[in-house]
Amino acid sequence: MLFRIIKNSFLKRPKAVLLVFLSIAMGAAVATAFLGIAGEISHKMALELRSYGANILLEPSAAQGGGFLREDDLPKIKTVFWKYNITGFTPYLFGVADISAGGKKERGVISGTWFAKQLEVPGEDSSVQGIKGIAPWWDVQGRWPEDADEAIVGATMAKRLGVVAGKELDATVGGRTRRFHVVGVVTTGGYEEEQLFAPLITVQSLLQRQGKVSRVLVSALTVPMDDFGKKDPASMTKEEYEKWYCTAYVTSVAKNVEEVMAGSRAKPIWQIASAEGSLLKKLNSVMLFLTVLALVSSATAVSTSLMASMSERSPEIALMKAVGADRLQISAIFVGETLIISIAGGVVGYLLGNQLAGIISRTVFNSTIASPLWLFPTAIISAFVVAIAGSVVPLRRALLIEPVRVLKG
Amino acid sequence: MVESIIETNGLTRSYGDICALKPLDLQVPEGEWLSVMGHSGSGKSTLMNLVGGLDRPTAGSLRVGGEDLLALSEDGLARFRREFVGIIFQQHHMVPYLTAVENVMLAQYFHSVPDEAEARSALERVGLGHRLKNRPGELSGGEQQRVCIARAIINSPKLLLGDEPTGNLDHKSTVMVMELLKELRAEERFTVIMVTHNQDVAAWGDRTIYLDDGVLVREERMKS
Ligand SMILES: Nc1ncnc2c1ncn2[C@@H]1O[C@H](COP(=O)(O)OP(=O)(O)OP(=O)(O)O)[C@@H](O)[C@H]1O
Ligand SMILES: [Mg+2]
Repeated sequence: MLFRIIKNSFLKRPKAVLLVFLSIAMGAAVATAFLGIAGEISHKMALELRSYGANILLEPSAAQGGGFLREDDLPKIKTVFWKYNITGFTPYLFGVADISAGGKKERGVISGTWFAKQLEVPGEDSSVQGIKGIAPWWDVQGRWPEDADEAIVGATMAKRLGVVAGKELDATVGGRTRRFHVVGVVTTGGYEEEQLFAPLITVQSLLQRQGKVSRVLVSALTVPMDDFGKKDPASMTKEEYEKWYCTAYVTSVAKNVEEVMAGSRAKPIWQIASAEGSLLKKLNSVMLFLTVLALVSSATAVSTSLMASMSERSPEIALMKAVGADRLQISAIFVGETLIISIAGGVVGYLLGNQLAGIISRTVFNSTIASPLWLFPTAIISAFVVAIAGSVVPLRRALLIEPVRVLKG
Repeated sequence: MVESIIETNGLTRSYGDICALKPLDLQVPEGEWLSVMGHSGSGKSTLMNLVGGLDRPTAGSLRVGGEDLLALSEDGLARFRREFVGIIFQQHHMVPYLTAVENVMLAQYFHSVPDEAEARSALERVGLGHRLKNRPGELSGGEQQRVCIARAIINSPKLLLGDEPTGNLDHKSTVMVMELLKELRAEERFTVIMVTHNQDVAAWGDRTIYLDDGVLVREERMKS
């Protein structure tokens, strides 16, 4: 009988039913699409993120005790097995200097580096290497240094010394003083804001470390670490080692680079990976938030259209009550109606959402995705949740209807 | 000595300042057919709604079929209505999207279990065996009212309430409905309370009470 009532009620008011159905289907579709691409987005973003910022650090190996790497070895990085995965690198030479400007003076770190150096390697395409390429988030007020006596100053240091682009400053090391034209102030959000950056060659001569480099930062496109990638290469069989070497794990690329830099030791920068992880986590919470928002708005739409049909249906509800229906029996009819609509809405929403996820992933990420199995139950459940949340207020209203007022004779 | 099916003592219903029903003492013996008359706004519907468990009194006591209606919860009143009372309104109140037989089955469904065969024979009894599958929009006023009668008696109520059930009907349909009710009462032996503006309709009853401004001003016993 309940089904007979519901069926006939549907047939009588197809438009109202359609409205509720659409609201639920939209909510379920958006939830399906968002949750469906969330996993995909994480994966793609992980790959995207790895192209920014260095993820491998080359340092002098303690065993060799040299304390420095050779600048002459740097071009070899463009010749390694994984050369096409290496999107950029930059050397650093650090020293401590007395830095003074306009009467203010302090002890600080001076870094010699490449900003955007044209690198010609025989047999390879020419490329531009340096900080500009591997740290695109560096925000320079002014411009990047081009000449040997130009420098940029970290924002914190610049503030203390009161320098801005256009000013000059002196750096003194062991009695040798070098005057730099400050061409920019750099904001990085990191420890770099405490440093002075000048061309590598200039700093080498100031520090009397010609041809030497303290460390190299390398940015490489890598694949996410999996269980195999985490194995210790030293304990691998020959086949395993080959497979490991030929997979672009951050560790195998690091190993690759280490081999060409004499006296170096390469370490993956795990902070970058974990920062990426937390960024991805944030991204996921944003997606989740948007999904919830979409569900809330479709529940509101459901509530509104149920409310509208409720005032139209109050005589019939009043009549059912007068004939002796109690609250449970009235609720069963209305909850039953919305649940049936929500099953249909969930199925259609799932199909739509899957299409939507496919379109998003094609247009934004240029790839197709396979929708996970749990997506279908999730779509149905979100449709249920929307239906139930949207029914609460209208149902309360229905239960409060007084037959005497409506059925006035 | 017949027992009272309805007993009220100082039964009062007021809406703010308006006293729709002044303290009323009324006994209705089981099996009686009581007509209620009075001008518009005199409190007839108010009395019916109280007795039918659709409304609650402001003061006084109200026992129907041995049940103290004041003590019942909202769901308790719903149970009372479906088990004890059959109600017929002036407007032909059918659920618009259900057929005649489904409208009757609705009352069975709320009461216990729907039984299509029984619902069909109830409609046959009110002379609508040929209109089972029609919806309210396809039925005449008199036919709809007869569906309501079938629905009102389907659960064998002890008390049948009619609030101007013939108010919208022409003379011929009115007589048909009244005769039907009389027949049914002879078989089922339920008590009838019927509000009407029509002396002729009131004359079908055993007794008529007259309300004026919420007060019972006169009562009249019918002979034969
Ligand atoms: N919900 C309400 N709120 C306020 N006043 C009401 C309400 N219902 C009824 N009344 C008032 O109570 C009085 C009695 O109303 P009732 O409906 O019982 O009259 P009636 O005798 O059935 O009239 P009619 O013959 O026109 O149906 C009227 O004055 C009416 O205005
Ligand atoms: Mg009335």
